Amino acid sequence: MRFTRRTFVATAAALVAASAVPRAVAKGTGMIFVSTEKGNEVVVLDRSLAVVKRIATSRRPRDMHFNAAKDLLYVACGDDDAIDVIDVASLEVVDSIPTGPSPEVFAFSPDEKVIYVSNEEDSRLEAIDMETRVSIQDIPTGAEPEGVLVMPDGKTAYVTSEVADMVHVVDTTTGAVTKNILVGTRPRRFILTPDGTELWVSCELSSEIYVIDTATNEIKGDSLIFVPPGFREEDVTPVGMAVTRDGSKILLSLGRANHIVIIDGTTHDVLQYVLVGKRAWSVDLSSDETRAYVANGLSDDITVIDMASMKPIQSVPVGRVPHSVVIDD
Amino acid sequence: MTSAQDVATSVTSPFGGEVGAQRRVRGPSSAPRLGQGPLTLTLSPQGEGTRGRRRFTPRLLSSLLPLAASLLLSGAAFSAEIKIGYLGLKDDPRYHPDLVYTRIEIAPGGNPVDGATMGVEEMKVVSDAVDQQVGLDHQEATDAASLVAKLDQMVKAGEQFVILDLPAELVDQVAGQTREWPVTLLNATAPEDYLRQRCYPNLLHTAASDRMLSDAMVQLLRTRNWTKVLMLVGSEPRDKAMAAAFRASAERQRFNIVDEREFTLATDPANREKNNSLLITGNADYDVVFVADHQGEFSRYLPYDTQLPRLVVGSTGLVASEWQWSWDRDGSTQVTSRFEKLTDGRRMTGQDWSSWIAAKAVVTAYAKARSGDYQKTADYIRGNRLKIDGAKGVQLNFRPWDGQMRFPIVLATHNAVIAEAPLEGFLHQTNVLDTLGTDEPEHKCQ
Repeated sequence: MRFTRRTFVATAAALVAASAVPRAVAKGTGMIFVSTEKGNEVVVLDRSLAVVKRIATSRRPRDMHFNAAKDLLYVACGDDDAIDVIDVASLEVVDSIPTGPSPEVFAFSPDEKVIYVSNEEDSRLEAIDMETRVSIQDIPTGAEPEGVLVMPDGKTAYVTSEVADMVHVVDTTTGAVTKNILVGTRPRRFILTPDGTELWVSCELSSEIYVIDTATNEIKGDSLIFVPPGFREEDVTPVGMAVTRDGSKILLSLGRANHIVIIDGTTHDVLQYVLVGKRAWSVDLSSDETRAYVANGLSDDITVIDMASMKPIQSVPVGRVPHSVVIDD
Repeated sequence: MTSAQDVATSVTSPFGGEVGAQRRVRGPSSAPRLGQGPLTLTLSPQGEGTRGRRRFTPRLLSSLLPLAASLLLSGAAFSAEIKIGYLGLKDDPRYHPDLVYTRIEIAPGGNPVDGATMGVEEMKVVSDAVDQQVGLDHQEATDAASLVAKLDQMVKAGEQFVILDLPAELVDQVAGQTREWPVTLLNATAPEDYLRQRCYPNLLHTAASDRMLSDAMVQLLRTRNWTKVLMLVGSEPRDKAMAAAFRASAERQRFNIVDEREFTLATDPANREKNNSLLITGNADYDVVFVADHQGEFSRYLPYDTQLPRLVVGSTGLVASEWQWSWDRDGSTQVTSRFEKLTDGRRMTGQDWSSWIAAKAVVTAYAKARSGDYQKTADYIRGNRLKIDGAKGVQLNFRPWDGQMRFPIVLATHNAVIAEAPLEGFLHQTNVLDTLGTDEPEHKCQ
């Protein structure tokens, strides 16, 4: 089995485990899963990018994560207040975990015993015990919480509040917010660099990326702004992010600027702006990191990018308002 | 006032890219190649205009370091109890439930103070983080003199920002009589364009101007190529103001206004050319009917009753507004549902949005300027470092020339947003939002 998840709320433990300890490689199916917010389905594509199945889910499926074994795929369904569980082998919804109102983004604890989910409508980060399905913590946040990330040690969770322009630092033992970090306007998602030292936050409406030092929970250095040629700063609304396993490249979706930018993970220099579809949000890498997949919310397609040439290969229509992409390979 | 230790803590947790963090702008690289790093550019504190030429550098560095240093050294961070004023008209007829003949309610009433209340409430977590306790002080009075007297009390009690929820003529009188006062007024509910041309130094506007609304409508009509317009206009000043704005917008897009006709509410046969829908829409060739009828009693009977099978826009049919409850993009659903929770089910209107965003702008300015000095906070709210999220997918701030907040306009039927302006393809040399409303070159103070 290999670890592939490198996106915004990747279970950080998986990242560290994957980079620190080489693991046996299981053969993935190579299938690509895309949640479509208005289609109420998870669309499954095979390696040739042909749609092989449309899995009906609860309403408004958004963020998705595999469990570590990659035999189950979890999908947060905002309009039915549930996280659906898809069996990766049978491609059927086999279970549904009730959540608070309007779950949007979630992350697992490293031991996969707890699921942390941001409930957009009631300003809460909710911790749900996976076995009992009981909500064990209900942590108040600023309005419209979104991005969630749990640190590899499982002791700290981070959650953004889109309205409060804040990152809340949560002690997972006590369920208390221990610090509020004020960032740019409308903070959305996170990635953790593979060494675990930097937490990146995309701030959609101030066009910025903030970097937080996870040792101190202070903002590290300058905020970053990436403006593709021919665009204005206000056109740039970054949301989704992904990082390669060695941390050498970081991919940032630029939203309304209809591009992603691939940057050097160390110097932060621009390597390439890649034109994709309309309102590019979620971005994910295949496990061999040869391809990146971008969900384009307003053109109902995903764009496949060749990472060697850093060029788009193909855009594939998937369904109404694609939200997230994950790959089982 | 916090202790020196607290101050150090608050300053070292950088805030909003303004105090602790600088921004690096990675400018466009026309043909970026592997290994090609962007060059650098020093940006002015204002930043705009010089930005983005294959360069990057710390932004605001020179202006912010001294500020951060002074906060650290002097312990001068601003912590306080802050009251934001909200001044309305007692028993404002604009917010009565829309009762028509036999007391049928065609639209529920509701006071937009609810929007401001929600704005302060949802920003509480931010205010708390910077040790500010912000509250809303809702006051009402009955006429210009008593409003000015009330405002005097509010300012003397320490209020530095007051949201005005008043009809245009009262905004005009209150702002005119208090122009030298140390207070910033935010007009949240009066759309009249002439207020934007008064150039009162202390008046900002978060209500959309009539011109913004009509520019939005005209952009949509232009994209559909419905440029032959029959205008129907009521006899009241408010109707005439809407019509004037539409004419200006139509002229900008070179529309053909085939005729402009005044309607009346009656069935007098001697006056039937003005009061009969079929007759008033006859004897002309047009693509669309624009009706300016702020009372709505004439216009609500107009669709499906026109001589030609044409759509009706303006005061009915397709309506331009700051907000519509059915809008589902950019987090707007969350705003609408928070509002419904707060108001026991009332649907958020354009006026609610404008008072909400006014309160958010003030709380944000206090939190980000973090200064006890009124002028610094007032400068912040007017400056281009203000980036407010109005659940419209773009950053919002105020136009320097007329104090109008720039924001997208929704064009909605009774249950769907058909388009959001600026529509794609309407470009502007500096900011596409400035395709809506009086632009800087055409702005004149009167």
